[in-house]
Amino acid sequence: MSTKGASLKGLLLVVLLVSHMLLTKEGVTSLPICPSGSVNCQLSLEELFDRAVKLSHYIHFLSSEMFNEFDERYAQGRGFIAKAVNSCHTASLTTPEDKEQAQQIHHEDLLNLILGVLRSWNDPLIHLASEVQRIKEAPETILWKAVEIEEQNKRLLEGMEKIVGRVHSGEVGNDIYTPWDGLPSLQLADEDSRLFAFYNLLHCLRRDSHKIDNYLKVLKCRLIHDNNC
Amino acid sequence: DLLQWPQISKCRSPEMETFSCYWTAGNFYNLTAPRMIQLLYKKSNEEDWKECPDYITSGQNSCYFNASYTSVWTPYCVQLASKNEVYDKKCFSVDEIVLPDPPVHLNWTLLNTSQTGIHGDIQVRWDPPPTADVRKGWITLEYELQYKEVNETKWKELKPRLSTMVPLYSLKTARDYEIRIRSRQRTSEKFGEFSEILYVSFSQIGIGCDHCTEEVEFPWFLVVVFGVCGLAVTVISIMLSKQPRLKMLIFPPVPVPKIKGIDPDLLKKGKLDEVNSILACHDSYKTQLYNDDLWVEFIELDIEDPDEKNRASDTDRLLSEDHLKSHGCLGVKDDDSGRASCCEPDIPETDFSASDTCDATSDSDQFKKATEKEEDLLCLDRQDNDESLPSLANTDPQRQHPNTQSENSHLWASFADSVESPRPSVHTQISNQNSLTSTDFYAQVSDITPAGRVVLSPGQKSKLGRAQREGCTEQNFTMDNTYFCEADVKKCIAVTSHEENEPHVQEQSYNEDGYFTTESLTTTVANFGASTAEPPSSEMPVADYTSIHIVHSPQGLVLNATALPVPDKEFNVSCGYVSTDQLNKIMP
Repeated sequence: MSTKGASLKGLLLVVLLVSHMLLTKEGVTSLPICPSGSVNCQLSLEELFDRAVKLSHYIHFLSSEMFNEFDERYAQGRGFIAKAVNSCHTASLTTPEDKEQAQQIHHEDLLNLILGVLRSWNDPLIHLASEVQRIKEAPETILWKAVEIEEQNKRLLEGMEKIVGRVHSGEVGNDIYTPWDGLPSLQLADEDSRLFAFYNLLHCLRRDSHKIDNYLKVLKCRLIHDNNC
Repeated sequence: DLLQWPQISKCRSPEMETFSCYWTAGNFYNLTAPRMIQLLYKKSNEEDWKECPDYITSGQNSCYFNASYTSVWTPYCVQLASKNEVYDKKCFSVDEIVLPDPPVHLNWTLLNTSQTGIHGDIQVRWDPPPTADVRKGWITLEYELQYKEVNETKWKELKPRLSTMVPLYSLKTARDYEIRIRSRQRTSEKFGEFSEILYVSFSQIGIGCDHCTEEVEFPWFLVVVFGVCGLAVTVISIMLSKQPRLKMLIFPPVPVPKIKGIDPDLLKKGKLDEVNSILACHDSYKTQLYNDDLWVEFIELDIEDPDEKNRASDTDRLLSEDHLKSHGCLGVKDDDSGRASCCEPDIPETDFSASDTCDATSDSDQFKKATEKEEDLLCLDRQDNDESLPSLANTDPQRQHPNTQSENSHLWASFADSVESPRPSVHTQISNQNSLTSTDFYAQVSDITPAGRVVLSPGQKSKLGRAQREGCTEQNFTMDNTYFCEADVKKCIAVTSHEENEPHVQEQSYNEDGYFTTESLTTTVANFGASTAEPPSSEMPVADYTSIHIVHSPQGLVLNATALPVPDKEFNVSCGYVSTDQLNKIMP
């Protein structure tokens, strides 16, 4: 029996070792073995933040690329940049504009702000994904990215809500949200005006995704790594 | 000189907390009063243009905005203007113009060296630019490292990474290296400036390999040359190898078109008639010939066929062709397919050597034997043939004149081709014999003498004319010929039996290629019965054929009794054989 037990232990050890090796490969998202919907499975806050940061970085990356492609394809020679004194619909949300402000704001407030911005972008992203297809000869890459961003944004929203649920001690703050009324501008008959509306929207998207990415990194360094990333 | 307007060259933020704008004055400026240029800026949510707060910190022709003036995600517009004119304008937001400072504090440490000491691995470490607040996560940087040997011109790049250390593997310890690093914000595309160059010298830490300056490069040239030579040697050795199996394994032989039984060399070198003979004697070809309607009657030796006309006609045809045979032509020169291939009348007899064997292994000796055999097998002296021919021609009304020659030529073709084998020789012999009587063409060859003669079993027919005209005594049976004409034998036996009544019947079984049809036996018996006054008195079942066992003397022939209950009576039907039915018919 002892030999049996020893061999079983050895086998288990080998299995664990192999699985560990496989899971810690570089590039593989080392997601904990936590099936979705499981009640008892708890991801650590660090893990939640890691995922959130990865998602926000990805969304910003896609937005950046999409904007660049759009700029290259449609905005050249139309003078959009000169008119880019644009204001995004999320400008009404008072978000930190520099490092000092970001340092001083409470993390719960910052989390709420992040949630607010994400929620505010939910609607525009849906319409963006559908309206961009109506652009004449829209490249496939732009179309695909629009859909992908909308999807990932939803996931990030869910993740953030989980984080907020963990971090918040007490009542959840105001439901911060900015409505978006830019849909008519995306459906203008005049092609130039329509393209300018798209340009603005994509520009705002790039900016706001960068904001969110930065805020999350600051929060992560502050909360998880104690300002020592 | 070309007039150049003042231009804003770039605006840059190193850490996303401050930013500076730089411009070029242009040569226009020198002509007028200096210091007239201003940089005005405006945030997007403001109305008024404000002047640059700091012209000094960033150097000449620059404007520095410190942290209090910087709002990261707010759009700015700056413009270069003098009192009356606007020279240049630029709009941006700070997060778009981030270009980090270069990393600092580059250093390297040795990880390990190879066993030979020629190569070594090092680890390079650095610190992020001091201005960038990476620790609080305000800015995330990634780094790109480049390195090269000191005397090289092209830098090798590593892909950008987030960590501030990277290993470099397999550097040559005999050489010195230069390393430089630059950084960029993670989501940007543009890199900042390069750091200072880091010099790596292995000799400084005492592991330089001065004497291993020679480089062991992989001798590609030698490898290729030797590889090709080895391969060529292998191929040649295989090709020349005597081992057929190895050769077949590596170079499988390409199947050449080949007809079974035909030597391709002969086809190449042989003369046309030889080739024709070969082809004619080939089985498949023969089959085709036989499929011809003309051949049907020759092949179908149907026992139930009461039609003897064909036989007689065939026999006659055969007979009529004997004279052709004497000329060395086994066939009639005709244009029909197959016939000409087998026979050309002008060809001397020597050419038959090739046609003797289907395998085209011609041999002159064989040819001689063949020709002799043929002549003997014909079993008729030329004179006899000539004599018999007209007699038959006259007597047989059913002879088919028009088709005679053609059919006979076919016959001769087949016969000629297989002279060597006993069967065809039997055919020829029998054909000749059949020319006299209306029997089939096959007889049984009982033996082949060492000299090459064929010994036939007594045929189913007896030469009526001969038996009547000639007697055994008049025949000259050379003792050399260990076989006798079937007819002659029969004749002799008939005479003998008729006179002496003492035939020894012994039966033996030889190769039984030939057979007698009932019909022929019938006629034989009839003839026999006609020639001899004594019909076989005993009734016994006999086989359709027997074979000659021994030929004792001109007068005697010993036959084999094949498992037949030979009655004690002298069954003089040793020369001829009847089936039971025929026998019943014969017997009263």
